[in-house]
Amino acid sequence: MIKYIKDLVSGSWALLKGMRITMINFWRPKVTEQYPENRETKLQNMCERFRGELVMEHNEKNEHKCTGCGICQMNCPNHTIKIVTRQETTEDGKTKKVLDKYMYDLGSCTFCGLCTQVCPQKAISWKPNFEHAVFRRSQLEKQLNQPGSKMAEKKVAAPAAAPKKEGETGDKKVQ
Amino acid sequence: MDNMQKYIQTLAPKAQFEEGGQYLTTTIEPDALRKVATGLKEKGFDYLMCLTGMDYKESLGVIYHISSSNPKEKETVIVLKTSTTNREEPAIPTVSDIWEIATYYEREAYDFYGIIFVNHPDMRRLFLREDWVGFPFRKDYVVNDEINPVPTKVPDPDDYEAVPSYSLNKEGKLVKKTKSLFENKDYIVNIGPQHPSTHGVLHLRTKLEGEIIKHIDPHFGYIHRGIEKMCESMTYPQMLYLTERLDYLCGTMNRHGLCMCIEKAAGIEVPARAQYIRTIFDELTRIASHLIGWACMCNDMGSITAFIYGMRDREKIMDIYEETAGGRLMVNYYVVGGVAQDIHPNFVNRVKEFIPYMRKMIEEYHTLFTHNPIAAGRMKDCGFLTKEQAVALGVTGPSGRASGWSCDVRKIAPYAAYDKVKFDEMLHQGGGTFDRYMIRLEEIEQSLRIIEQLIDNIPEGDCRAKVPAIIKLPAGEYYQRVENARGDFGVYINSTGDKNPYRVKFRSPCLSLVTALDPMCTEQKIADLIMISGSLDYVIPCIDR
Amino acid sequence: MLELDKLVTLIHSTLADAIDIEWLVKLIEYVLIGVGFLALYAVLALILILLERKICAYFQCRLGPTRVGPWGLIQPIADMVKILLKEIIKIDKTDWILFKVAPFIVIMGSFCTFGALQFGKGICGVDFNVGLFYMIAISSLGVIGILLAGWASNNKYTLIGAMRSGAQLVSYELSAGIALLTMVVLSGSLQLSEIIEGQAKAWYIFQAPLPAFIAFIIYLIAGHAETNRGPFDLPEAESELTAGYHTEYSGIQFGFFYLAEYLNMFIIAGIATMVFLGGYQPFQINAEWAEGFNNIMAYIPTWAWFFGKVFGLILLSLWVRWTFPRLRIDQLLKLEWKILMPISLLNLLLMSVWVLIF
Repeated sequence: MIKYIKDLVSGSWALLKGMRITMINFWRPKVTEQYPENRETKLQNMCERFRGELVMEHNEKNEHKCTGCGICQMNCPNHTIKIVTRQETTEDGKTKKVLDKYMYDLGSCTFCGLCTQVCPQKAISWKPNFEHAVFRRSQLEKQLNQPGSKMAEKKVAAPAAAPKKEGETGDKKVQ
Repeated sequence: MDNMQKYIQTLAPKAQFEEGGQYLTTTIEPDALRKVATGLKEKGFDYLMCLTGMDYKESLGVIYHISSSNPKEKETVIVLKTSTTNREEPAIPTVSDIWEIATYYEREAYDFYGIIFVNHPDMRRLFLREDWVGFPFRKDYVVNDEINPVPTKVPDPDDYEAVPSYSLNKEGKLVKKTKSLFENKDYIVNIGPQHPSTHGVLHLRTKLEGEIIKHIDPHFGYIHRGIEKMCESMTYPQMLYLTERLDYLCGTMNRHGLCMCIEKAAGIEVPARAQYIRTIFDELTRIASHLIGWACMCNDMGSITAFIYGMRDREKIMDIYEETAGGRLMVNYYVVGGVAQDIHPNFVNRVKEFIPYMRKMIEEYHTLFTHNPIAAGRMKDCGFLTKEQAVALGVTGPSGRASGWSCDVRKIAPYAAYDKVKFDEMLHQGGGTFDRYMIRLEEIEQSLRIIEQLIDNIPEGDCRAKVPAIIKLPAGEYYQRVENARGDFGVYINSTGDKNPYRVKFRSPCLSLVTALDPMCTEQKIADLIMISGSLDYVIPCIDR
Repeated sequence: MLELDKLVTLIHSTLADAIDIEWLVKLIEYVLIGVGFLALYAVLALILILLERKICAYFQCRLGPTRVGPWGLIQPIADMVKILLKEIIKIDKTDWILFKVAPFIVIMGSFCTFGALQFGKGICGVDFNVGLFYMIAISSLGVIGILLAGWASNNKYTLIGAMRSGAQLVSYELSAGIALLTMVVLSGSLQLSEIIEGQAKAWYIFQAPLPAFIAFIIYLIAGHAETNRGPFDLPEAESELTAGYHTEYSGIQFGFFYLAEYLNMFIIAGIATMVFLGGYQPFQINAEWAEGFNNIMAYIPTWAWFFGKVFGLILLSLWVRWTFPRLRIDQLLKLEWKILMPISLLNLLLMSVWVLIF
């Protein structure tokens, strides 16, 4: 009988203490993100390392660094990247492989990051963009090199065979 | 180990031993298998860690990784191999009566390779549909959607409730017998595959009497993606991303296992800085995973508020991940030879802020839920799993430790920086639901303790070793265990020296957890089944692979 | 001031002046009252739905609905429109008549009880001389609907849910009834208006502090269990039985269950208010010095008192609901038969002694 009453009292007391916790949380600041309203601050405060979308950086002269070597395409586990190259004859008469189209299918990308890790030119990188919703699947297939862009002339031209050499940083060596 | 070799020699005189392997590896004839297995079990090798089917092209075989639940030495693993050259009707004697978990492992090997285990009581497929044609992991399997079209009709219940079993007659021919899984008068409730509390697409065929459970038959494979098969056509760095799609709640730990296996095979030395960072990340993942486990269990018991609190606090860990690694759930941080990039400058501070916050929150969890008489009353008197059952079914991790089995790989075979930190392996003796519940919250505290010891002492230096551009593992077999949040996660790689593996096998800790449902829930109520499955905290993609 | 009973008499006298035929006046009045109650029923449901979603969100460190209207105010209307527009799915091999009838029984039980509530001085549908008895009796009708729904759906989950619901309601009806009976001993009447009038000086919970308080707590627990909510939501138990007895319902048929659930919460709180907290009676302090205070309290209209108290109790019920885990069926029955029943019987005895002595 005494145990019965004791259990009853201690049980009710524990229940009340539990209710106290929820009441404390009732007054705590709320964690919900009000997304479209806080869009500006959200976009500004995105972690710079967030893998949102693969992009190819272009400088102000509309030049990119991609040589079209295709290492990223080879490394992609999902065949998300397709590189179309064309042959171009330079002024001194050499034929050279240049990038025609860099096709990237956001819809099948797993964001594993192998492409950016292996790129010998560091031509592609991640952009912390999370607003990917579109209406058609075809809209997810993106051409990363801007129209009319060309490869930036580099002082030290890095040949396409670069990854086979032992490079300076660890990134280049993993394939 | 030498005397074990002699012991096996006496049991099976024809046994061949491999030299220089990671573990003591023996190849024996199928006829001698049961004798050796029984002998090993008598010598204390009672934990069948992993059972891998293999296609050696000219023969089909099975590899058993056997360990002891009470290792006298640091890590005792014996590898048994056996194979048969008959590809039409490959028959290997079953070991399901010696190690109980083999009941399911052998079904998996049958499903993938068509190896028939003689006298196995239940030779159904484990993952694929009953009407699947062929055995997809065989090297001569032809992928063809005319042979296996996308099914458009529901199979006949009689079809998938038929349980075949095979035995040998006097002439040595296989004889097939079929019985039905359930009888007509049984009251069967299908819990899943679409059910709020199966934690994924698990299908439990539950035989009921009123609300009392009489038998549970788990049905897997709804999220089977053939990850192991996919791995066979990928290079080693490409494989890494698939590990996070196994048990998505402890992605970093699974990835750690595969990375370590590759590093060990290729002889890559991982820098100390990367080891420390990996350890911290593993422990953060463990906290996040246990938080989800706690939260989902509370949700299963009807306390949705506790669920949201757990998710809210896990979010903080996700933010820490995002800042350093660039991903939230699929962290993609470990690479072969180290970690993808150095830690973010804010990382140390954020982790240090997180530790006291988490400790305070655990206090709240205890007040809100642990000490609640309703919750405690429900948890304390049901779902018991004895240590013997846990070992027989290979239930490792927090669930195994709740039954009193000291099975923490971090202690048995320390890896990364675990030998440099002090932490306690939490052990409970009861084996009940409440023990499993408590052990998770206690392990969060231990993880915080590990992080606290490491976070200020991350050594300077590279966070990534130099690795060759194309990783080729030397021919051989490699096995690596890690302790993920659900138990003993194992990676088995068989390499022929190519840039692709010949065979990859992931040892899923969750499969054992689900198989333990049947002994634990029999004679309990439906509400208890939901709660017990919450306390086991399994993740289905890890089972189905 | 702002009392609604004057409005009622005004409508009656206007109608009586305009139309001579007495039965026609009565008919028009009945229809008006019926429509008014229906509207109140629906509006209250909308308010309760929004309240629940908001409060539950705040307990869980969330914000709840914020998109539809300012502060999510139009959210329940959007919900209701959605429910009305949804297709009523007809499932093969169900007992179609019973399946259709079940939601009506549930909502009828709830609505009949609702009509007997005293919302303010002189505002109520009916005022029986056995009003309290009527309420207890009619509010238990809902369980028949739940049982029928579970049975007729031809689904194992719904059947388990319905059976749980049956066991639960039959048990908790007892201690709820005894708790109310305790108060009837104190008031000496079953007529709701008399019970409330008896609390004009002091609410019953203050008139007999100990037994009335115990009865109040017991009634709150048992009443909460009768609404199938909170830690007692075993018949629905979404993590076990997906949605319990109403798994197979859709559209407005589901909407009826949904409405009835919320209104039952209101009704239980309403009965507790009327019997323990003085119904529409203002808070009065029985002392010389408090006359000014009493006057101020009495200035607040009676219906505001009623709704204020009811919503206070509903907040308490929400607080409980969003804190505790669900009970298991054996715990549920243990709580009733081993704790609530003996205590409420003893309490009945205590109350009788109390009434004899004081």
